[in-house]
Amino acid sequence: MGVTIRHFFGPSVTLQYPKERMELPKGARAKLYVNIDDCIGCNLCARACPVNCIDIETVKATDDVDLGKTSTGNPKRFWLTRFNIDMAKCMYCDMCVHPCPTNCIYMVPEYEYSDVDRSNLVFHFSNLTPDMVAEVKEKAEEEAEQKKREREEMKRKKAEARKKKEEEKKKQASTKKNDKSDDDKPSTPGKKDS
Amino acid sequence: MTINMGPQHPSTHGVLRLELDLDGEVIKNTRPNIGYLHRCFEKYAEKMDDYSKVVPYTDRMDYVSAMNQEHGYVIAVERMLELEVPERVEYIRVILAELQRIASHLLGIGTFGLDLGAFTPFLYCFTEREKILDIFERTSGARLLYNYFAIGGLIKDVHPDFKKDTAEFTKTLRPVIKELNDLLSTNQIFIKRTANIGVLPEKVALNYGASGPVLRGSGVEWDLRKNDPYSIYDRFEFDIPTGMGEVGTIGDCWDRYIVRVREMEQSLRIIEQALDSMPDEGDVTEAVPKRIRPKEGELYARTETPRGELGYYIISDKSASPYRVKARAPSFVHLGLLPAISKGALIADMVAIVGSIDIVLGEVDR
Repeated sequence: MGVTIRHFFGPSVTLQYPKERMELPKGARAKLYVNIDDCIGCNLCARACPVNCIDIETVKATDDVDLGKTSTGNPKRFWLTRFNIDMAKCMYCDMCVHPCPTNCIYMVPEYEYSDVDRSNLVFHFSNLTPDMVAEVKEKAEEEAEQKKREREEMKRKKAEARKKKEEEKKKQASTKKNDKSDDDKPSTPGKKDS
Repeated sequence: MTINMGPQHPSTHGVLRLELDLDGEVIKNTRPNIGYLHRCFEKYAEKMDDYSKVVPYTDRMDYVSAMNQEHGYVIAVERMLELEVPERVEYIRVILAELQRIASHLLGIGTFGLDLGAFTPFLYCFTEREKILDIFERTSGARLLYNYFAIGGLIKDVHPDFKKDTAEFTKTLRPVIKELNDLLSTNQIFIKRTANIGVLPEKVALNYGASGPVLRGSGVEWDLRKNDPYSIYDRFEFDIPTGMGEVGTIGDCWDRYIVRVREMEQSLRIIEQALDSMPDEGDVTEAVPKRIRPKEGELYARTETPRGELGYYIISDKSASPYRVKARAPSFVHLGLLPAISKGALIADMVAIVGSIDIVLGEVDR
């Protein structure tokens, strides 16, 4: 009885939960958050995830736009058209947090996000509107097409140049009429383009 | 008559179903039915495209002692890679593993008492376990499934107050163990319920491949930390407590229980020694390899978890994912000897026997 009465006047050991909350320690695993401004779209977190709950889609930025740099100084080269994290799948293993080069994906101490609908647990972090996504994609496609055309053009030119050289070589070989000369090299090495 | 005990029974520790053939109240035969918690751990391990991605799944095998499960797997892969782990990492791992052993035993003892009607010790145990979980939470960020050990090191350094917190905890636990002994170990009702019940003779235990507290309760001095030292356990001084039949026959439920209580004290000794000699400085992630590609071959590594010998048998085919991972789970083996020791017991004693072998169904079913 004495113990009971003593406890009446001692400090309380319980918390009145919804009104009071325990403070989570630093690095507690609760909810994933992505600072999208710092993301460079390297996909390392998605690859590290054992349950594949991170879904990233990137589009290469065209040459005329500069996406700037992250706060850690890494240049951004991709539009992040999709960055979804399915917290219903997540197993809070923290494995995506550590490989991130810019430390932009981390756990935040927010643990009250249960929902009746599972689709509400897919969190979207991309800050592009659907119109912007479409525009960016179109632009990127156009540029890719153009680059492809340029590459093909280059290839054609190179092939032509090579052909010319070969013909010249043949001509030289036939004029020299020397058997000992090394005429068994049809093309010069190192010129192959991939 | 045949009755079912479980899969949802307040005292079967998880989803275990026991089919009992009865003659009146005496058990003639026991058939454990498992598989309610099967999650394809071994198949998942093969499917992962990286050895390190298996670590969070090992947590989910024995969720009561997740640190020890990780320790076993991590050691196995490190041996395959012939990887040298920094000194500081080894010390932190041993301290965490021993803390986890205490936490697991506290839960095992607490629920064992609860099954037999002793509610107060359960609360005492949980108060202490909570302190360990707080240390773990501050260290790794998680309270139950840590994923804290990485192959070659740890995923991040311990929190700055780790040493202080742990030292403080070791001081507070000793009096509690004493209290627990007064409350439960020497409690006449508890002794009546556990002494001479579920006797597991030494020979049967060895034949069934029992390990851990179950084997030691039968009087066999066998502890992998001493008999086949892994990590840095050969540097520490500690005893192996065994069952001596103080209140009944050697190998009864009480013996298995008291081995756990005494093991907690030994774990405290290890923690104190480790805290004294643990280096303060050092990068815990320096030895973590970027690419994990073990040589072709196979390996079996075993460690002592709170429940017994946990072995990982890994076959590598030189690729980035293991070709096969087989886990030798102690709980599974101990569940197998349930029919042997429950023959002739009463139904009420079955509760004591299941509690005393302290199985975790997550590990049985994997």
